[in-house]
Amino acid sequence: MLNLLFRSFIRSMGVKIGLGFLFLAGLVSLLIGRQFLDRQARNSRDVIAAQRVDLERHARFHPDEIGLVLYYAQFALVNQTPALAGLSIGQRDVNPSIQRVTIRGLEAQKYDADLNNPTNLLLGNIDFSFVLIYLFPLLIIAFTYSAISEERENGTWRMVAVQSRNLLGFIAQLFLVRLAVVLSLLLVLLGLAVVVLGIPLDGPFFLFAGTSVGYVLVWFGLCFWVASLHRPSGTNAVLLITIWLVLLLILPAGINQYMLSRYPLPEALATTVKQRKGYHEKWDMPKEPTVAKFYAHYPQFRPFGIPNTTFNWLWYYAMQQMGDDESARESGELRQKLQQREAVSHAFGLLIPSLHAQLQLNELAQSGLGNQLRFLDETTRFHERLRLYFYPKIFSNYPVKAERWDRHTVKTFSDCSPIRAGYVLLPPMLFGLLFGGLGWLNFRRNLYVL
Amino acid sequence: MHLNTQRLLARHVWHTVFRNRAVFWLFGLVGLVAGYAAWSGWTTFRQQKASQHYYQQEARRDWLSNPDKHPHRMAHYGHFAFRRPSPLSLFDPGMDRFLGNAIYLEAHKQNTVNFSEAGFSTGLMRFGDLSIAMLLQLLLPLLIFFLGAGSIAADRENGTLRLLLSQGVSWTNLLLGNSLGLFMVGLTLLAPLLVVAAVLWLMAQSGAPSVDEVIRFGLLIGFYGLYLALCCVVAVLVSAWSRTTKTALVSLIGLWLMTTIVLPRASQALGTYVYGLPSKTEFQTAIQADISKEGDSHNPDDPHYKSLKDSLITAYGVKTTDELPFNYSGYVMAEGEEISAAIYNQHYNTLLERFRQQNQFARATAFLNPYLALKNLSMALAGTDFLSYVDFQQQAETYRYELAQKMNELQMHHIPNKKLGPTEKAYSIDRKYWQDVPDFTDRPLSVGQVLPAEWVSVVAFGAWLLLLTFLVHRAAHRLTAV
Repeated sequence: MLNLLFRSFIRSMGVKIGLGFLFLAGLVSLLIGRQFLDRQARNSRDVIAAQRVDLERHARFHPDEIGLVLYYAQFALVNQTPALAGLSIGQRDVNPSIQRVTIRGLEAQKYDADLNNPTNLLLGNIDFSFVLIYLFPLLIIAFTYSAISEERENGTWRMVAVQSRNLLGFIAQLFLVRLAVVLSLLLVLLGLAVVVLGIPLDGPFFLFAGTSVGYVLVWFGLCFWVASLHRPSGTNAVLLITIWLVLLLILPAGINQYMLSRYPLPEALATTVKQRKGYHEKWDMPKEPTVAKFYAHYPQFRPFGIPNTTFNWLWYYAMQQMGDDESARESGELRQKLQQREAVSHAFGLLIPSLHAQLQLNELAQSGLGNQLRFLDETTRFHERLRLYFYPKIFSNYPVKAERWDRHTVKTFSDCSPIRAGYVLLPPMLFGLLFGGLGWLNFRRNLYVL
Repeated sequence: MHLNTQRLLARHVWHTVFRNRAVFWLFGLVGLVAGYAAWSGWTTFRQQKASQHYYQQEARRDWLSNPDKHPHRMAHYGHFAFRRPSPLSLFDPGMDRFLGNAIYLEAHKQNTVNFSEAGFSTGLMRFGDLSIAMLLQLLLPLLIFFLGAGSIAADRENGTLRLLLSQGVSWTNLLLGNSLGLFMVGLTLLAPLLVVAAVLWLMAQSGAPSVDEVIRFGLLIGFYGLYLALCCVVAVLVSAWSRTTKTALVSLIGLWLMTTIVLPRASQALGTYVYGLPSKTEFQTAIQADISKEGDSHNPDDPHYKSLKDSLITAYGVKTTDELPFNYSGYVMAEGEEISAAIYNQHYNTLLERFRQQNQFARATAFLNPYLALKNLSMALAGTDFLSYVDFQQQAETYRYELAQKMNELQMHHIPNKKLGPTEKAYSIDRKYWQDVPDFTDRPLSVGQVLPAEWVSVVAFGAWLLLLTFLVHRAAHRLTAV
């Protein structure tokens, strides 16, 4: 029976076209993912080469003043892009994956934007997560919206109902065949992705696949439930497309809008204005209080004292430090607000499967806001390490030539935040079961309403 | 006679639609969403505007409160430019969320415009923006497709189509009458939503709206009206060509998905795939390389500045630069600023050209896809498109350049040439000069500059109207009752 059902389903022209289209979209998404990963790799190579050349040049131009070399010298930190990010580009196209900072005030450099074409950002990527989240449901809807209602409309359902010993089982098989076809397509695409993008078969990948399967199950659950309402095919189509619209356009956009107005970020502007003043106003003040504040922050440098020249690098970097120190409160508030945004989105995601899928795929692919925030935190630590390393050298005017500049290579940040499998997988499973169960009850109740 | 039949048919569509209870639910839902979009849009707009205004003033106050000091210190003190949201961004935020909001303007350095809303957002941002424009561009057409799928196909299914035709109703009347009816139904949503938009737009103005603003809003009304009409005709045509309501509905939904979800992304992805962007490092390295070639004021042995120095010494008949009648390092910095700004602008323009190349596929598909034509036009008129952004950026860069050069000029004329000893007090000039630099104010583009830049979209709109007229005409001769 199952075999027959499968053959009659797959023989339809519409089904072949739908599967072909989605397969093609999937392939395109993999190519785009490949291009994205290549670009990320090239960016890293570029910055590695540039850092070597630039450090050498600055050292050559200013052989007697290490303070001046470090005024110019930039040090890069790369946010490692896992191969999975090729499947879910997330926010990685908005936020730079490379930070290049000098040891001067960090707040003035931390949020520097990447070069990107805003039209690309506005229209969005065709990455695998788009194909999964937007297009797979449409295929599922197309495959199932008239699966039973059409038989009813053509008058064949009565015959099926009379001839079948287990009508409920028949309905289940009807859906299972479709589920199997859709899941096979999904798994084929994921298999290809492993090859094309070189994804390691590790925990995050299997969770990624699991989340994808869960999302497909949610939609099958929804379609099953709608089919159980015993409406005409046209109504089913309208109802399902409306659900799609609400889950994929209206609710996410509405929640995003809510977050923008609930958690506005005037702190961003406050930080940037404050840090400028914090640093620059020190030029017009006596040196002693500035250096005293600096020593309060870094007591270990106290032995360097206060040089009595009009300009000296110790004072200069103390002033730069004040830009960061005096805007630290605003900067902290900004960070906190961003973390709130992230937490609230995830909380909403528990209730809305489309959000959950996108956020979790991004999280697994390390391309979400969470990863970006951890990268920013690591940038702060990286910057601090640089400062602590170079401060004593600057203050003692360490010879530029004695410093091994070629040892200052580009550093990489790999995000190792823990993954909670249950949190990732349970919500879609529960949604799938809920709607599947509701559908089941409906079918049982109205099984022989022909 | 013609008109009467059409009106009769239109009224019939109207009655059929509103007899359906579900329609009220759908309209109610759209109304609710629109209300929420308006309210939250207004809240964010007000917050953004307030903080932008506050910090712009604070930055200016900080600038003016600087004491007497060396002008080059002021060149580094610099200023900020914060992007103002346009009043119509309340209606259509367009690219706003993806564009940076603040740029730090200082000597020697062209900074990036930072703090875009998207950079601070979770993956949610990518699902789109909730706004009145989004409802009108996406939801209204879909609703029209839902309601219009059965307009003629249902008559065909239940046999009334044959009756109508045998009574002498022409196909042209049938198509136009049904389209008109659908259009009236669409207006019951379009009109109130535009009224909401108008209220928001008026609330966002400080004082009466300018003529330019009024023209923008008028054009928006016109284009959205045309777009609605276009959707109605498409719905009726597809319905007339389909055997059953179900096929019409499925085709229309497919059409909607292709035009609004798949095509825009696909065409843009093609552009991005074909034309790659340089990495930020590559971009900066190329600029640095050109500056080194032309003359790097930070390189002590730079040949350009060596010859500059020699020519000055000869021209003024002095032995060292210390004897020049103006401050020599101010002169060098002015020269450096000029060279580096010109090179930066040249590279930046190449980058913009690259963006344009990436965008051209999506732009061209406006001819296949009226949704994109409307989207681009709407953003442009709302002042939330890339053109307006680039204009802001250029105004900021001009301001930055003038500020830096003004400080260099002050240095040349007011700072003595003699180098100070290591413990002598630094030179400074009177703080009254800080007031000579005006505050940064951006002037938005005029509608006369915006519209020509969007000519492709306008032409695409025209082409669509012609095409549909042609199709209606042709259909009227080809269609049959069964």
